[in-house]
Amino acid sequence: MLKIEDLNVYYGGIHALRGVSIDVPQGEIVTIIGSNGAGKSSLLNAISGVIKYSGLIEYEGQPLAKQAHKVVKSGVCQVPEGRIIFANLTVHENLKMGAYLRNDAKGISADFERVYDLFPRLKEREKQLAGTLSGGEQQMLAMGRGLMSSPELILLDEPSLGLAPLLINTIFEIILEIKAMGKTILLVEQNAFKALSIADRAYVLEQGKITSSGSARELLADTTIQEAYLGKKH
Amino acid sequence: MSVFLQQLINGLSIGSIYALMAVGYSLVYSILNFSNFAHGGVIMLGAYFGLYALNLLSLPFMGALVVAAFAAGLVAVGLEKIAYSPLRKRNAPSLYFIISAMGASIFLENFVVATIGPTFKTYPEIFSTTPITFGAISVSRIDILMFVIAAISLAILVFIIEKTKVGLAIRACSYSARGSNLMGVNVNRIIFVIFLLGGMLAGVAGMLFGMKYTVYPQIGVITNKSFIAAVFGGLGSLPGAVVGSILLGLIETISAGYIASQYRDLIAFSLLIIVLVVKPSGLMGKITEDKA
Repeated sequence: MLKIEDLNVYYGGIHALRGVSIDVPQGEIVTIIGSNGAGKSSLLNAISGVIKYSGLIEYEGQPLAKQAHKVVKSGVCQVPEGRIIFANLTVHENLKMGAYLRNDAKGISADFERVYDLFPRLKEREKQLAGTLSGGEQQMLAMGRGLMSSPELILLDEPSLGLAPLLINTIFEIILEIKAMGKTILLVEQNAFKALSIADRAYVLEQGKITSSGSARELLADTTIQEAYLGKKH
Repeated sequence: MSVFLQQLINGLSIGSIYALMAVGYSLVYSILNFSNFAHGGVIMLGAYFGLYALNLLSLPFMGALVVAAFAAGLVAVGLEKIAYSPLRKRNAPSLYFIISAMGASIFLENFVVATIGPTFKTYPEIFSTTPITFGAISVSRIDILMFVIAAISLAILVFIIEKTKVGLAIRACSYSARGSNLMGVNVNRIIFVIFLLGGMLAGVAGMLFGMKYTVYPQIGVITNKSFIAAVFGGLGSLPGAVVGSILLGLIETISAGYIASQYRDLIAFSLLIIVLVVKPSGLMGKITEDKA
């Protein structure tokens, strides 16, 4: 569904992504694991068209647009790191912003129902300003807002960041539910163990380069990965 | 009591014009985080557009007002394209925008001096200058007109911001342009809309102001007061801009009525300084809370 070949990103003099190639097949959860500063967010931002890049990003056989609003239009939506929910808008208005490019009133109201089913907490807080939500609720709102654009491919950037362990479990269960809705997910995570345990396929990104890849199960069993990312000693 | 009522009406009238100008500053600030000092130039041009629409095109008052609004809106959009858009593309810091705005302001003023001339011009008498009296209170027709038109224009703006999709996107962009962009908002288009809206209101304000006083190239200087009103109310907040403007208008006229008109600005600006010392974000400053 998404095919990236030889992607390069530069920030000033820094070469943030060095010839990254990945494949995201339809209906799967693909995760990119790697330490802080490895280039994980740069990868998602390049796909979303927020930063400049060279290389090929192909979505459903076509080159993906390079402007953020056109990327959303083609069915690829990012749930950004740090959520970036609109604190000055209500929960309901935030979700409406997710559906900004849509004009199908029926589809939008059906998706409102779906999002509120998935996150009952958001329904309870519908009229509240999003800035008053807890960190976990803000993450739910960011994910719900992303779903409101009715994407085929969702880019999730560090959904567990800064959340309590119990909430992290909830968020990962919800990611599986979103997959069950038929969505394809590209998940970027520092919590490698959690990410690998729900993903189908995984890539390891180190200093802007893909250093290993394979099925999530293989990587979970890989001893070097275990030592570097899962905190296991051999 | 009658002095109070009289000054209340005067204050509301001048405050409502400040509000029309102040929301233009706040709209731009809320999204681009800089103070658009070229706004005064757009207001000044609005006064000229209205004057020429009446005199040269022989339009009726409402027609001239619409022409002034659209022409000033287009000037504001053009300014954005020439003076700010290139800076945005390079992610320049706010200071560069402010300097560019000041340059644009000086350019507009001198452009008018060079082409139209530095002389004062007056609007033809459209409305009778005999005031309407209610007992001891007399109100000039132009003051009533200013208030009514300003109120209607602001109501339209509030409707657009609060009830329409583009308004929702403007509010979202004011919190995070990047977040809005990721939701599919074409931020360039939102910036076009805010300059158009702010410019149109500036055109209306310029024409009304020109009708009440006179028209000359330095008329934009009065926008300093509306800028201060916007800061007073909380720069970046539209309700803040309106509340700050009305309060500034009232403080000015009431201190002129009860103390002396020489003290008007002194008292108004002392209060401003007090507000900013106590609450630096202004009366209704922009919400910046964020939970990471």
